[in-house]
Amino acid sequence: MAKIIGGVGTSHVPSIGIAIDKGLTETPDWKPFFDGYIPGKQWMADQKPDIAVVIFNDHGNTFFLDRVPTFAVGAAETYKPVDEGWGPRAVPDFHGATDLSWHFIDKLVESHFDPMVCREIEVDHGLQVPMELFFGRPENWPVKVVPIWVNTIQYPIPTPQRCWDMGKVLREAIESFPTDERVVIMGTGGLSHQLQGSRAGFLNREADEAWLDGIANDYEKYRDMTREDYVEQFGSEGAELIMWLVMRAAMNPQVELKHRHYYAPASMTGAGMVVLENA
Amino acid sequence: MTGPAIPETPLFDRQGSIRGYKMNKMAMSLGRPENREAFKADEDAFLDSYGLSDEEKAAVKARDWHGMVALGGNLFFILKIAAIDPAVMTEIGAAQAQMEHGEFLKQRLGKM
Repeated sequence: MAKIIGGVGTSHVPSIGIAIDKGLTETPDWKPFFDGYIPGKQWMADQKPDIAVVIFNDHGNTFFLDRVPTFAVGAAETYKPVDEGWGPRAVPDFHGATDLSWHFIDKLVESHFDPMVCREIEVDHGLQVPMELFFGRPENWPVKVVPIWVNTIQYPIPTPQRCWDMGKVLREAIESFPTDERVVIMGTGGLSHQLQGSRAGFLNREADEAWLDGIANDYEKYRDMTREDYVEQFGSEGAELIMWLVMRAAMNPQVELKHRHYYAPASMTGAGMVVLENA
Repeated sequence: MTGPAIPETPLFDRQGSIRGYKMNKMAMSLGRPENREAFKADEDAFLDSYGLSDEEKAAVKARDWHGMVALGGNLFFILKIAAIDPAVMTEIGAAQAQMEHGEFLKQRLGKM
């Protein structure tokens, strides 16, 4: 059966991608941010996963308001980077782990989830940036992907508990998938930021640090928080952090926090990552 | 989520989605290069083709980021306007907060 080799939580701020595109990763503003990812990148290289399941939200690039899936799962052969207004970025196309995608979709529906199933779709920075942070900019990605989109744009967004429950199904799907492939799960988004309204520029470094410490083995409070709590503590767009819960729920109750990094602000966002392994 | 609002924090709920639909649809279309060209060639005609009201048109044409959000624009859609007419994220953030950019960087983001 396929094996979960670890879980990663990471920011997916678009400015990170722009910094890579413009060769700014060694500038004083960005170097400390990128340096903090080196151990995570090394971990990924050592672990050699075959498949990355990436949980992220679209940012008004692939889905418009005419149809807003609460959860969507990609089952495409190829996912191209979408044009976010500046032209598509020069990152390689992503190849889909379509058999695992369909297996996960089967498990979701059996478990009373109702995902949108996407056979032909592009991906925005929400998936691109985490892949670049952990795999660099190779000619071809060393893993296939299973993209999972979570609506965090238009309310009602899903509850933290629902994201958690989806993570349980994800684990069941991977562990019943009849190959010996190695799977890494990447929960993305956050950390604290707010881009709209007069509280724009809101950062909560204290809450971000507590999250990075607590998501490993003190996760119950985050699972049990309301969406309002997330918005209040992490800002309106910081509520993206609910997507890390999908990853966390797919791991063991006890995990080992292998790597952790925090830097703020990346553009207007508290940014960072954790790498978790099952204890 | 219909509980008490968090101060200064507009959530993009049904009202925003309904009110801002046309403006956001116009902005979404800028993900295609031919629409960016049409926008640049004749902004008025382009905005008219999406049925924007005079108030919405004025906000878009002035690059009034605060005004666009107040009219139901969602930042993730309207950011595509900033790709045509470059503005950096922190400038847009400062406009949301109605603060001068330098003050915004210092006070909100802790930058010196």
